[in-house]
Amino acid sequence: MTETPATFEAAQRELEHIVERLERGDATLDDALALWQRGEELYRFCREKLDSAQGEIEELAKRAESAVPPETASRPGV
Amino acid sequence: MLTAMKIEAIDYGERKVYTVAAFNRGIASWLARLPTVWVEGEVTELRRQDRWQTVFFTLKDPASGACLGVTIGRGQFDGLRLDLSDGERVHVYGRPELFEQRGDFRFRALTIERFGLGAHLAALERLKKKLAAEGLFAAERKRSLPLVPERIGLVTGNDAAAKRDVLAGITARFPPARVLVAETYVQGPRAAPAIIDAIRHLCAAPGVEVIVIARGGGSFEDLLPFSDERLVRAIADCAVPIVSAVGHEQDTPLCDLVADVRASTPTAAARVVVPDLGELLQGLETRRSALETGTRRLLDRDVRRLGQAQERLRRGPALLLERRRARLEQAGGRLRALSPRATLERGYAIVRAQNEIVRASSRLAPGDEVDVELGDGAFSGEVKETR
Repeated sequence: MTETPATFEAAQRELEHIVERLERGDATLDDALALWQRGEELYRFCREKLDSAQGEIEELAKRAESAVPPETASRPGV
Repeated sequence: MLTAMKIEAIDYGERKVYTVAAFNRGIASWLARLPTVWVEGEVTELRRQDRWQTVFFTLKDPASGACLGVTIGRGQFDGLRLDLSDGERVHVYGRPELFEQRGDFRFRALTIERFGLGAHLAALERLKKKLAAEGLFAAERKRSLPLVPERIGLVTGNDAAAKRDVLAGITARFPPARVLVAETYVQGPRAAPAIIDAIRHLCAAPGVEVIVIARGGGSFEDLLPFSDERLVRAIADCAVPIVSAVGHEQDTPLCDLVADVRASTPTAAARVVVPDLGELLQGLETRRSALETGTRRLLDRDVRRLGQAQERLRRGPALLLERRRARLEQAGGRLRALSPRATLERGYAIVRAQNEIVRASSRLAPGDEVDVELGDGAFSGEVKETR
């Protein structure tokens, strides 16, 4: 039950699948509990992935802005 | 003086006989007393030679065919510059005369005049109609002139003001222009063939792309060579476009009609054969700056587009993340709503007996051990009673 998902997308898919199963209400309470725990794990996994991606993007954007101001770089010399 | 001379006869008895010389002298002196008069007729058999003192021709009555031999001194004849040709109608002023040595009667001319302008005008009008009917003056025959001719041919008189005007006009407008000048007769009997020669010569010269024929004003007769049929045809046949600057306000020589472009004056001719270099350069400068403005505008637009693309590039991943996060939060929210823990937190409890969830009290008996799970924590207990 605690295996790590391969990718964000796989985790997201699994999470949604779990939610659907829980919503259908045909799982036993024991299964529901286990599913729910797994769902929480998947949610945390995805959340961490997104947070780290966000951080990376912000870092890159900051670096790009300080390196080349585009307005002055592409203006032709007259 | 013949009139004063006594004519003597030889007497043979009753018969009076004259020698031939005496008779001729007598007739001559009698003729000499006749008045000088004007005689009208057509010129035929014109004979003129440089070594002869006298020019001969026969004046013919066009209606009856009657003939009259005419003589005139060569110097006098040349001085009139009439360029007579056979068939032309003239008025001759003179008196009868006998060439005594030969007994030949002829008319001694003192002066000759063409039979008035009316006849000329009529002849010109006929020629004009004939050439127009052939299509020589048609607008679709007119060729356009090169914008900047490599060389310009100029046919003109050797000291003509026309020449100066054309050259000055060309140089003022377009200093680097190259003009090849062919000086020629522009009036008199030799003008038409000489102009034709000049045109052919210029046509054959390398690089000549337009020919100007220029002559200042002149009398109707002065301009006659420019209506000569041979010249008109030569202009029509010329391989190079021709600008005619011969005319006059009143009289339009036929060469003006056949030429590709007609200029009212020699200066106007200069205007049509070369562009104004100053204007040309200015036009070029205007276009160059338009080119620069256009390029700059394009560049500005591209810079703007690039900036927009960069903006979108930066927003792209953030947007993607945003969507993923929204989807995740939706799943997370639904998950939490379904959480059994949430239910327990509301006050419910899960009862287990021997690790099995108890759903009905009938499965229990008093004394059974049960585990109870709550929202926060759990406890164990014993069943006292079932209902």
